[in-house]
Amino acid sequence: MINEKYDLKKEIEIVREDCLRPTRRWGRSTQIWIGCLLIMIGWGIYCYIHQLRQGLGVTAMRNYVSWGLYISTFVFFIGISHSGTLVSAILRITKQEWRRPITRSAELLTFVSLLFGGIMPIIDLGRPDRLVNLVIFGRVQSPLMWDIISICTYFVGSSVFLFLPMIPDIALCRDRLTVCETRFDKFRKWLYTKMAIGWKGTKTQWHLLEKSMTIMTIIIIPVAVSVHTVVSYIFAMTLRPGWDSTVFGPYFVAGALYSGSAGVILGMAAFRKLYHLEKYITKRHFDLMGRIVLALTLIYAYLNLNEYWIPAYKMATSEGHLLEDLFYGSYSKLFWTLQFGTVLLPILILSIPKGRTVLMISITCIIIVIGAWVKRYVIVVPTLLHPFMPIQEVPKDWSTYFPNWVEFSITGACLAGIFLVITLFSKLFPMMAIWEVEEGLLIEHDRQLAIDIRLKREASERVINIEKLNGEKVSTEVEPIKPTVITS
Amino acid sequence: MKSIIINRYFLKKLGFTIAVSSILFNISTAQITEKRTTTIQLSFYKKANISKTIVGTVKAKNEEGKFLPAINAKVNFYLVNNNAQTFLKAAYTNKAGKANIILPENLPLDTGHCFTIAAKIENDKVFEDAVEELRYKEANLELKLAPYDTSRIAKAVLKTIGKNGEVIPVQDVEIKFYVKRLFGFMPAAEDYTLATDENGEASFTYPKDIMGDTAGILTVVARIDDNELFGNMEYQAVTAWGTVLLKEKEPFPRALWEPYAPLPLIITIAVLFGGVWFTYLIIFYSLYKIKKEKSDEQIEFEAIIKQ
Amino acid sequence: MNDDLNKSRRNFIKKASLAAGITLAAGAIGIEKFLSAKSVPKKKTLVLTPDGKVYQANCGELKEFNPPPVSNLEARKGIPNKKFVMVIDEAKCDGCKACTEACQSMHFIESDREWIKVFKMQDSESTSPYFFPKPCFHCDNPPCTKVCPVNATFKRQDGIVLIDNERCIGCRSCMVACPYSTRFFNWSHPKADQIAETGNMQYSPELSLPRRMGTVEKCDFCPDMIRKGLLPACVSGCAMDAIYFGDQNEDAVTNASGVTVKFSQLLEDNAGYRHLEDLGTEPRVYYLPPKNRKYPKPDMNASGKELNQTEMKMGDMRMSE
Ligand code: SF4
Ligand code: SF4
Repeated sequence: MINEKYDLKKEIEIVREDCLRPTRRWGRSTQIWIGCLLIMIGWGIYCYIHQLRQGLGVTAMRNYVSWGLYISTFVFFIGISHSGTLVSAILRITKQEWRRPITRSAELLTFVSLLFGGIMPIIDLGRPDRLVNLVIFGRVQSPLMWDIISICTYFVGSSVFLFLPMIPDIALCRDRLTVCETRFDKFRKWLYTKMAIGWKGTKTQWHLLEKSMTIMTIIIIPVAVSVHTVVSYIFAMTLRPGWDSTVFGPYFVAGALYSGSAGVILGMAAFRKLYHLEKYITKRHFDLMGRIVLALTLIYAYLNLNEYWIPAYKMATSEGHLLEDLFYGSYSKLFWTLQFGTVLLPILILSIPKGRTVLMISITCIIIVIGAWVKRYVIVVPTLLHPFMPIQEVPKDWSTYFPNWVEFSITGACLAGIFLVITLFSKLFPMMAIWEVEEGLLIEHDRQLAIDIRLKREASERVINIEKLNGEKVSTEVEPIKPTVITS
Repeated sequence: MKSIIINRYFLKKLGFTIAVSSILFNISTAQITEKRTTTIQLSFYKKANISKTIVGTVKAKNEEGKFLPAINAKVNFYLVNNNAQTFLKAAYTNKAGKANIILPENLPLDTGHCFTIAAKIENDKVFEDAVEELRYKEANLELKLAPYDTSRIAKAVLKTIGKNGEVIPVQDVEIKFYVKRLFGFMPAAEDYTLATDENGEASFTYPKDIMGDTAGILTVVARIDDNELFGNMEYQAVTAWGTVLLKEKEPFPRALWEPYAPLPLIITIAVLFGGVWFTYLIIFYSLYKIKKEKSDEQIEFEAIIKQ
Repeated sequence: MNDDLNKSRRNFIKKASLAAGITLAAGAIGIEKFLSAKSVPKKKTLVLTPDGKVYQANCGELKEFNPPPVSNLEARKGIPNKKFVMVIDEAKCDGCKACTEACQSMHFIESDREWIKVFKMQDSESTSPYFFPKPCFHCDNPPCTKVCPVNATFKRQDGIVLIDNERCIGCRSCMVACPYSTRFFNWSHPKADQIAETGNMQYSPELSLPRRMGTVEKCDFCPDMIRKGLLPACVSGCAMDAIYFGDQNEDAVTNASGVTVKFSQLLEDNAGYRHLEDLGTEPRVYYLPPKNRKYPKPDMNASGKELNQTEMKMGDMRMSE
C-alpha cells in the first residue's frame, strides 16, 4: 500500500545527480581557491628550503624549547585524523542509519590530516636527509618508532577504509563519464577505470566488499586508538613534569576524538553549503553530531580534570612550578581561555537544544578545533620551559618561545595542503557515499513496505478479533503511510 | 705525572690556543715595560731507576704582586760540575708554568755520587733572569715482592753508593706505598708511609680489598716524594694481589637503552601490528578477488561458448 | 712465576717510560713547532721515535702527535671492564667555571652552550645555596638513549653515553627526554672559525668533532683522553680540585692534582649522593654535599640579574625534590 507517487528509481537518480554534480564543474571560485592554496604551499616550500639550508636555527626553537609548533601541529593533525574512525566506523558498527551521507567526508578528513600529520615530524627533523636511517638502524624501543609504525599502519588502514566504500561510486563515475573530449576528461576516465578495479557490481563483488568493510570497520578502531596513545607516549615516556603522566594516552585519545569530530562537523557544514547538499546533510545530522561532540567534550573535560587536578592537589616540586606557571604565571591567560573556551563553552552551548543549530554548532566547532590546536601547544611548550634544572645564564631566546614566520609559513602550507587535497578530492569523487545513501533509501523503502504489511495484518487481525467479540464486520481500510526518506 | 696531564692541552689544541694566547701575550708584553720578577723551583723525578726528569716550575709576579705560573718561558738547564756549567737543554714552560727535560742516562757524577742541575731564565723578553740550582744524590729504589707469598708484603729497598764505591743502605727515608690506578696512584691504606730501617728497607703489607683487573693483577708502587737528597723516586711492580674483577657477563644485554630490544617488547609489537597487517592482507586479497571477478554477462558468455 | 712477573714488569716499565717520553717529546715538539713557525724557521729538536731511538729533526718536518681516532664500532663498544664515574665535591667548588672553560676549549664549543655548566642552586629558601657543576650524568638507565629511534646515541660498556653525529637524524627526542637539560642541538652550521679548526678532523663519536648541523651534542667524558690515560678536560681544569674522575671497577677516582682516593670511601666519608636520585636514571656522576665550605656561597640575588630571564621566580631556582 505504498504511496504510488513515490518512485524509488527516480529518487536514486536524484541522489546520484546531486552527488556527481560537483565533479563536473570547476567554477571560477574553485580555481581562485586552489590558486590561493598553491601560493601558500609554494611559500611554505620556499621557507622549508630556507630551513633545510640554514638549519632549524631559522625557527624560533632553541635548546630548551626544542620541540615547538611543528610537533604541536603534528599532534593536532593526528588528533583530527580520529574523526573518520569515530564517525564512520563507530556509527557503522552501531548501524546508525543517519551516518550515510557524512561518512565519506569523515574518512577523507582522516586520510588527509594523517597524511600531513605524518609530514610534520619530518619537517621538524634536523637531518631529513638521513630518514633512511630509521629503516637501517631503527630501534623498536623508541616511542618515535612506535609512532612511525602505528601511523603507517593507520595511514594504510584509513586509506583502505576510505577507498573500499568508494569503489562502487568510482565505478559509477566511470560509467557516467561517457564523453571524454578534453584531456582532463580522458585523464579522469583513466583514473576512474584504474581505481574502480573492475567493479561490475556482481553479487560476489558486493559480498566481498561488504565483508571487507565489516573487517576494516572493526580493525580500524583499535588502530586509531593506538595511534593517538602512542603519539602521547613520545611525551609521556619522558620524566618531564607535565608529561610524566599516566592518563596521557586516554587524554590524548579523548582530545583527538573531540577535536576530530568537531572537524567533521566543519567539513559537513562546508560541503553542505558549497555543494548544496542540504537535502541530505540535514539539521538532524548536526543535532546528532552536536550531541556526540557534547559527549566527547564531557569525556575530555573529565580527563582534563584528572590531568590537572591530581598534580595540582599535590603540588610536587617540579610539577608545581609548571602548574603555577599555567595557573597564574605567564601561560595563565592562554590556559584559562582554553579551559573556558574549549571545555566549558561547548558544554554550555551544546547542551541546550537551541545551541544545536547548524550555525551555533559550526561556530562552536571552529572554537573547538582552534582551541585543540592551541592546547597541543600548551601541552608541549610550557613543559619544555620548566625543566628540572633551573634555566640560568642562557641567551635570552633560549628561555622564551613563540613560533616565528618560518614555522608559521611551513605549518600554514601544510594546512593549505590539507585543504587542497580535500578540494581536489571533492572535485574528482562524490563527497557522499552514493551507494550507501541508496542503500539507505532501499532500506527505508523496505521498512515502509514492511510496516505497511504489518499494519495491514494487524488491522485484519484486529478486525477478526473484533468480529469474534462483536460478531460484526469492520472496515479494513488503513491509511497509507508516506515513506519518509531518512534525510527529511 | 701532573706535567703530563697538563701537557695534553698542547697536544690537543696546539696551534690554536697557543697562537691566541701568544698573541695576547705579545700584546701584554708591549705594554709592560719592566720585566716580571720570576722564581724557579726545581724538582727531580726518577722512575724505575732509569728515566730521570728534571722539572722546573716557573712563577712570575703579576701586577698585583701575586706569583702565578709563567707560561711559555724559556728555561735553560745546565749540568754544574766543579763550577763548570754544561748546557743540557732548553724547555718552555707550559700552562702550569712547568718546563721539563729528560736527563741523559749516564750523567757524570761528582765525588759524593751526586749531580747538580741549574735552571736559568736568561735574556727573556718578559721575565727577569732567574737561577736555581739543586744537588741530588743518585740512589736506587727497588720494590721486592715475595712471589708465592699470600702475606702481601712489599719490601722497598733504598740504596746508594758510598765514598769508596760500596753499596750502602739509606736509613730514615720516608717511602710511600701506592696502588696504580687508571689516572694516578692511590695510597694503599690510610697509613701508607714507612721509613726505611738500618738496612734501607721498608716492608709494607698491602690490604686485601684492593680491586685488581679481571685476573686480580694490579701494579703496586713505592715512591719517595720530595726528598731533599734524592728528589722524587718511584718504582713499580706488578702482582696478583688484587680482588678479581668479575667480568660483566653481558656488556650489551637486551635492554631499552641498548640497540637490541627486550624480547617481550618485540613480541608485543610484532603480535599487535602483525595482526593488523595480516588483516590488511586479507582485505587486499579481497580487493584482488574483486578485481579478478567476472561480470554476470561474461560468465553467461563463457557458458555459452562452452556449450 | 717470578720470571713472568719480572718480565711483564720490565715490559711495563719500558712501555710506561716510553709513553711518558713520547708524550713529553710531543708536547715539546708542539711548542717548538709553533715557535719555529713564528720566529726561527729552521729549528732542530730531539725526537724520540716509537722504537726508542732519539734523533735530531727539523721542526718543520715534524707533525703533531695525533693518533687516529678509534673506529665507529670500537667507539660504540667502549673500553671493556671499565665503569667510569665522576665525583663532584660541592664543598670545594667555588663557582669559578674553570671546568667549563677547559671543556669549551677542548671541544671547540660555541660560547652559548656549556657541556659542563655551573649552576647556582638552592634547594629551598631556608637552605644554603651552593654551586653545582653539571656535566652529562652518563646515566645507567639513560632516558635519552632509550628514546633514540636510530641508535645514534648509545651506551657503552664502560658506562659512557655518546652520540654518533653521523647517524643522528636530529629528531631531538633525546633532548626532551633528558631530565637534566644536558643536550644541545646544532641549530645552524658551525661558525666559520670552527670549521677552519675542526673541519679536517677525522670524525669519531669519541671526539664529537667536527660537529654537524642538525645533530645533537653533549658532554662525552672525553673518551679520547681516557684512552690516552688522561683525565677529562673539566677534571684537570678544575683549580679547586673539586672534580674527581676514575674507574668504578678500580674503586678509585683522581682529581686535577693527581690525588687518587678510594671511590667508595670518598662517598662514604662525605655522604655522597646523586642528583634527583628518585628519577631512577642512575647517574654515573656523584656529588658530595657542600659541607664546611671555605669560600663564599653563591649570591642568589645577584644571580637573578644574570639570569636573562626576567620572570624567573625563586621557585624556579630551586631544584626539584
Ligand atoms: S644526563 Fe641526560 S644526556 Fe646524559 S645520560 Fe643522563 S639522560 Fe642522557
Ligand atoms: S636527536 Fe639524534 S641522538 Fe637524539 S634521539 Fe634523535 S636521532 Fe637520536
